Amino acid sequence: MSELRETRWEKTLNVLEKNAVPILFLIIGAIGIIFSGYSMNYLGQEIIVRIARNSFLIISLLIPIMAGMGLNFGMTLGAMAGQIGLIFVTDWAIAGIPGMVLAMIISTPISALLGWMCGKILNMAKGREMVTSYIIGFFINGVYQLIVLYGMGPVIPIKDPALVLPRGYGIRNTVNLIRMRRSLDNLLAIRIFGISIPVMTLAVIALLCLFIVWFKKSKLGQDMRAVGQDMEVARAAGIRVEHTRIVSIVISTILAGYGMIIYLQNMGTLNTYNSHMQIGMFSIAALLVGGASVNRASIGNVFLGVALFHLMFIVSPMAGKNLIGQAQLGEFFRVFVSYGVITLALVLYEIRKRHTRSRAGRLLAQEQLDARRLADD
Amino acid sequence: MIKRRLIQLAVVVLVILLGVIMFIVGKEHTILLDNKSVEIDGTTYNAFQIVEVQVAKGETLELGPRDRDKAVVMGQRHKLTVTYTDRNFEEHVIVKKFSVPIGESMVLISLPVFAAGLDQSLWLEHYEPPTILSLSPVEEELVVTEELIPLDI
Amino acid sequence: MVSIRRFLNSFGWPRIIIGLFLLSLFIIAPFVGVRIGASLSDTIIRFGMNSVLVLAMVPMIHSGTGLNFGLPLGIMAGLLGGTLSIELGFTGGLSFFMALVCATPFGLLFGWGYGKLLNKVKGGEMIIATYVGFSSVAFMCMMWLLLPYRHPTMVWGYAGKGLRTTISTEGFYLHALNNFLQFRIGERFVFPTGMILFFALIAFLVWAFLHTKTGTAMTAVGSNPVFARASGISIDRIRTLSVVMSTWLAAVGIIVYQQSFGFIQLYMGPFYMALPAVSAILIGGASVNKASIMNVIVGTFLFQGILTMTPSVMNAVIHTDMSEVIRIVVSNGMILYALTRKSEVSR
Repeated sequence: MSELRETRWEKTLNVLEKNAVPILFLIIGAIGIIFSGYSMNYLGQEIIVRIARNSFLIISLLIPIMAGMGLNFGMTLGAMAGQIGLIFVTDWAIAGIPGMVLAMIISTPISALLGWMCGKILNMAKGREMVTSYIIGFFINGVYQLIVLYGMGPVIPIKDPALVLPRGYGIRNTVNLIRMRRSLDNLLAIRIFGISIPVMTLAVIALLCLFIVWFKKSKLGQDMRAVGQDMEVARAAGIRVEHTRIVSIVISTILAGYGMIIYLQNMGTLNTYNSHMQIGMFSIAALLVGGASVNRASIGNVFLGVALFHLMFIVSPMAGKNLIGQAQLGEFFRVFVSYGVITLALVLYEIRKRHTRSRAGRLLAQEQLDARRLADD
Repeated sequence: MIKRRLIQLAVVVLVILLGVIMFIVGKEHTILLDNKSVEIDGTTYNAFQIVEVQVAKGETLELGPRDRDKAVVMGQRHKLTVTYTDRNFEEHVIVKKFSVPIGESMVLISLPVFAAGLDQSLWLEHYEPPTILSLSPVEEELVVTEELIPLDI
Repeated sequence: MVSIRRFLNSFGWPRIIIGLFLLSLFIIAPFVGVRIGASLSDTIIRFGMNSVLVLAMVPMIHSGTGLNFGLPLGIMAGLLGGTLSIELGFTGGLSFFMALVCATPFGLLFGWGYGKLLNKVKGGEMIIATYVGFSSVAFMCMMWLLLPYRHPTMVWGYAGKGLRTTISTEGFYLHALNNFLQFRIGERFVFPTGMILFFALIAFLVWAFLHTKTGTAMTAVGSNPVFARASGISIDRIRTLSVVMSTWLAAVGIIVYQQSFGFIQLYMGPFYMALPAVSAILIGGASVNKASIMNVIVGTFLFQGILTMTPSVMNAVIHTDMSEVIRIVVSNGMILYALTRKSEVSR
């Protein structure tokens, strides 16, 4: 395969375009650090905490991207399953690591069911997976509210009165997770240069990364990548395309459930009706900031993305206050940037799809021309 | 084919088992410690003037007569250490392991009966917190379902 | 028998279920003490409020650009128009007209840019539309804080800088349309004639446009792009035109909404406003690439009917207000149904 001859200018433009988003965020982050006035120590600690807290969730997004399903806006389904597990565990007064593990065990079948449903619906909407998974998230949120806001109490027995709304049924706006707060983080926490590092949590994340690496090489992983490349070619090769796509969503949802539990054990409080909706969008934004695209994402993108995205997130309010005098502006700014980066990534993906086709066409034409030139000599 | 199904079944069973173990190991129980005189079958077990109690690795609690304190523990089996000085100014230390029945969230231990060396069924009993009838108007909690500007992620 | 089944299949089970649900609500209502007259009046008012926003979906569906999840962009234009009209000091009925006038250039400009963007991303319009809508709302959040508005009814009290979250339209264009020629039947039924007439006017304009040469070209682009290109129609230009129309209609729509609702909602208020409009038109019978004015009327009426009747009837029957959850499930379920149907147009 010969290389497309292009000018150095075109080449640099291509590299810049590929890494546009991380570079942009590096610049925003740098400006933000300067204006916010936060110390490097403070920022370092905050970033470490967020890497430990959010990475698991973001890694769960990698598998659907591998399988060509795009950005899994339906990860909120896994988050909801994890939260339901946590509600039960809190009601039963199970503390610490056992509480976390039990919540994960409870969330697994719920995640699997929701993921399976989501996968089936996505198969019915091929070509529109992202919009559909986005709407599925909202739809299941309605079902979640039906269960948690109306069912818990009357239909599903809840013992602990501290969990229930004053009116007698339904779970409160916030659930205190004090029993398992930081239980994974503090299991092995080391202080280096004044920064506390939750070693155990990072170890769990490292294990997940190893799992992903192994998974990519496994038969199922290879099947998924084939389906992601070209569905029809994979089908011709004998791969059960629909089944593989559903499995990718199921695995992603289950991992999202575990990730949500890890996230919440660090936060210490469950915002019953909002945590899951917010986390979906911000996880996707973070992954995209790390340089991932709709059809290609690596583990490196995850960690780079968490660091850059959360850096921007942390410095924005203070920077806004120092620049304009209103911290509120900084808060709006970071929300705008989060949505903006997703928009940008989606647009770039579509345009690049077109570009790749045109580059492939130009490459073909170039080869033809070269071959003819050789034949003429 | 059958082998795969068997392995899948085994994994499910193992996970459920793990869940049950996690439940038992992680469940928090509230132990109420009573220093009250109790009468059982005609015999009165008197409260101590002063008694020190330590549940598992918690802090040492001090109780006077008719006092009640509480300790929150995780899991079923714990060591209970009771130290008291009797009328002859002799110090007695009683250390005994006990197990909280799994279903109980709150139990009550009567220290005088415990110190007398009787059977666990006599000094440990289930406790039901009294439901407080609220006479004040119930404050409405508004459920917020759409928070678009997050404070922290 | 076969023709009935075919009718059911094409009409769609979800719509039948929703229609029956609404009908049953209206039937139950009098038995549980809910006044039909007031409910019907409310439904019609809410129908009028939302009608133009739902109508805004039609041009883009016609041209094959998909469901306009980016409605908030047009709504931003409308908000700029409304706030400008108040800032410039217009009151009463004139402020309504001026709001439309001020909103129009923004609507056209935003729509043009948005249309050009959507042309570059054929195939992924809907999800990009969603996020363009969100980004525009979030961006305007910053703008509402920074833009130099000065009118005392709009800015925060002591600081004097930055717009308030909600601005009352009282004294300005509150009920400018509703009260025009309105009539009452009995003591609870109010018919907002002005608003309905306004919607009828706009709907007629859209209908008329779709029957012009450009309008038929738009329909062709959406239903048969190959034929359209062969006929020499510039697909991109028509698509951009449809997006501009949709955006402008959204701007008008939000102003109509505000004159009835009584408040201008800024900041994150309009964030999710695309979803009710999308599900309304789908409930009315539209699909991702086919929509008619009838779909708008039927859909908006059914959707707003459910939104009005469910809280009152449910509350009376089971003493719980589950209307919010039902709204989420019904509207998103409807959108899911539409997204999972096979498109009649192959790309």
